[in-house]
Amino acid sequence: MPAIFRLSGSLKDVVGGKDEYVVEAGHTVREQLLALGIVPETVAMVSVNGAMETKDYVIQDGDTVRVLAVVGGG
Amino acid sequence: MNGYGGHILRVNLTTGQVKKEPTPADLARDYLGGRGFGIYFLLKEVPKGADPLGPENKLIISSGPLSGLLVAGGGKCDWTCKAPLTGGYASASMGGHFTAELKYAGLDSIILEGISPKPVYLFIDDDKIELRDASEYWGKGSMTVEKMMKDKFGEEFQCAVIGPAGENMVSFAHINHDFGRQAGRGGVGAVMGSKKVKAIVVRGTKSVPVADLEAYRKAGMALYKACKDAEGLKEWTRYGTTIVTSWCNEVGALPTRNFSAGSFEGAQGIYGQTMREKIVVTDKGCFGCPCPCGKYSKTKKYNSYVEGPEYETIGLLGSNVGIDDIEAVAQANLLCDEMGIDTISAGNVIAWAMECYEKGIFTKQDTGGIELKFGNADAVFKMIEMITKKEGLGALLADGVKKASQEIGKGTEKFAIHVKGMEQSAYQTHNATAMLLAYMTCDVGAHHNRAWAITYDIQVGREKVVPEKVARVIWLQHFRPMFDVLGACRLQWVELGIDRDLYVPLLEAITGIHRTWEDIEKVGERIWNLTRLYWARENADFGRAWDMPAPRFYEDPPKTGVTKGQYTKLEDVNKLLDMYYEQRGWDSNGLPKPETLQKLGIPQELVA
Repeated sequence: MPAIFRLSGSLKDVVGGKDEYVVEAGHTVREQLLALGIVPETVAMVSVNGAMETKDYVIQDGDTVRVLAVVGGG
Repeated sequence: MNGYGGHILRVNLTTGQVKKEPTPADLARDYLGGRGFGIYFLLKEVPKGADPLGPENKLIISSGPLSGLLVAGGGKCDWTCKAPLTGGYASASMGGHFTAELKYAGLDSIILEGISPKPVYLFIDDDKIELRDASEYWGKGSMTVEKMMKDKFGEEFQCAVIGPAGENMVSFAHINHDFGRQAGRGGVGAVMGSKKVKAIVVRGTKSVPVADLEAYRKAGMALYKACKDAEGLKEWTRYGTTIVTSWCNEVGALPTRNFSAGSFEGAQGIYGQTMREKIVVTDKGCFGCPCPCGKYSKTKKYNSYVEGPEYETIGLLGSNVGIDDIEAVAQANLLCDEMGIDTISAGNVIAWAMECYEKGIFTKQDTGGIELKFGNADAVFKMIEMITKKEGLGALLADGVKKASQEIGKGTEKFAIHVKGMEQSAYQTHNATAMLLAYMTCDVGAHHNRAWAITYDIQVGREKVVPEKVARVIWLQHFRPMFDVLGACRLQWVELGIDRDLYVPLLEAITGIHRTWEDIEKVGERIWNLTRLYWARENADFGRAWDMPAPRFYEDPPKTGVTKGQYTKLEDVNKLLDMYYEQRGWDSNGLPKPETLQKLGIPQELVA
């Protein structure tokens, strides 16, 4: 079962507007970001199935991964 | 007029006369509202060379066509004047609920003119408008007074109040509202204090006309739905702007010890996650906001409540002064709010003074016995009080870091972190050329509000100096500030990634005028050029030199952290400016060319 990889905020603009991807398990979040053309350092937070994780988390089958863009200041 | 309260309130404090004028339709068409109205009135009505703290300066307070309506985040209010901090243009954006009440009272702008012979507050209850004696409030803290006024008049009255720092005309005094929202930057609070106006209290009960009620309801609900459905809403609401603290530390963007580094060894103690676990009590939103980023906190150590701290305050009154304790940052935040000073400028001037102290330029004799070292929270609290009262070293710092460093000399100008006299907000820019350019060319000084481009720097290459970066900064400078023109919060778009096209039908349904984003951005470009003209009008030597960043960013690289050794070469700083001026249609000294002004349709009456 593949995993769902979702982008929030301005991240989707980097990849042309698409905000949800079906991805294979076994890669880290960092690797998945690079595969989409997103520099991992632009990501503020990673959430996997509702829990906070690092960019080095290895994506598992059935995961819902959400990556959040960095905010633009208050 | 659809989308507007319909009137400008002119308050002559010298004579005590208050007068309502119809909001001109062509003003609304060409400048929309908010800071568009602000710069129009500033250029047209405040004479060249006016003393920022004198009777000729005006404080122009404006809502926008999206304010107070069914608009996610329609709670923004603009405060424009000649800035005591910089001698140029000031425009401070304030959230909360004030702007909605203003509009319900039938007002699009309030223009405060002259100087009152005694302390007063402006009381507005629909058409009942009075200047009242403020002697019982004068000298008291801004939130203390807001509580007194809420108790006296009722919760539905919204108050904008200055603290003692505004009364004392500290050059970066702010205006406080809703117990923790501010018109923060440039010294707008000092201007209000110079006019002897302690507060503005407003309640309105009138309707705001909209052009197409059904289309308005549909477009308004679509924007709310987009916010509610947005990926990231949960995390954004949980952490607000503090979500960025850990990221800034990781990428070397967290201002540390007076911007000498971008990573802080004690950062964990001030992370948003730490703050949420240790001190946050609840979330707090502004008018009509479905994604409240405000955090209401309680400290155990100081037994105090405060709204915040926001990221900017954490950066400047945390890592930038070497403090790694979120409770201490929250307490410093509270003191600044109550005293009425901008936390960003406060964190800068105190950090500069700490560096002076650690370098032996200041001694205990200068500080009044205070051990003014990085990391000393008690010293920070004491300096906030001394700045407010203009006591001892506080009197020097109350003028802002540019003037303070010029007075002290001894090379301290090189680590005075400002542009045009405004202290830099909380993003380290040794190696982030687009963000550096954004600060250099921001229309109020070194503020992040107009253009925020660090992720763009990281995405395309931090050190690159390319036309694409310059174009990005210019586009942001036109687009982002338009939220401050329309009277709505930009964070729904910035943070949640809401489709900006959702605003187009909403604005049209409200005003009855069809506009594309290109049309709206054109207004943004016109305003940007007008603010530039204002700087040039008020400062005979205005030009390229005013756009230069603090020397620290091009000759003093960080000695620690992930950006260790990195900086932007001076030749690249100049290259950035060359490209920026060219893309804007400005001359090599950074002044708009006549053909540029003509292309933008800027009226001659504002150029002269």
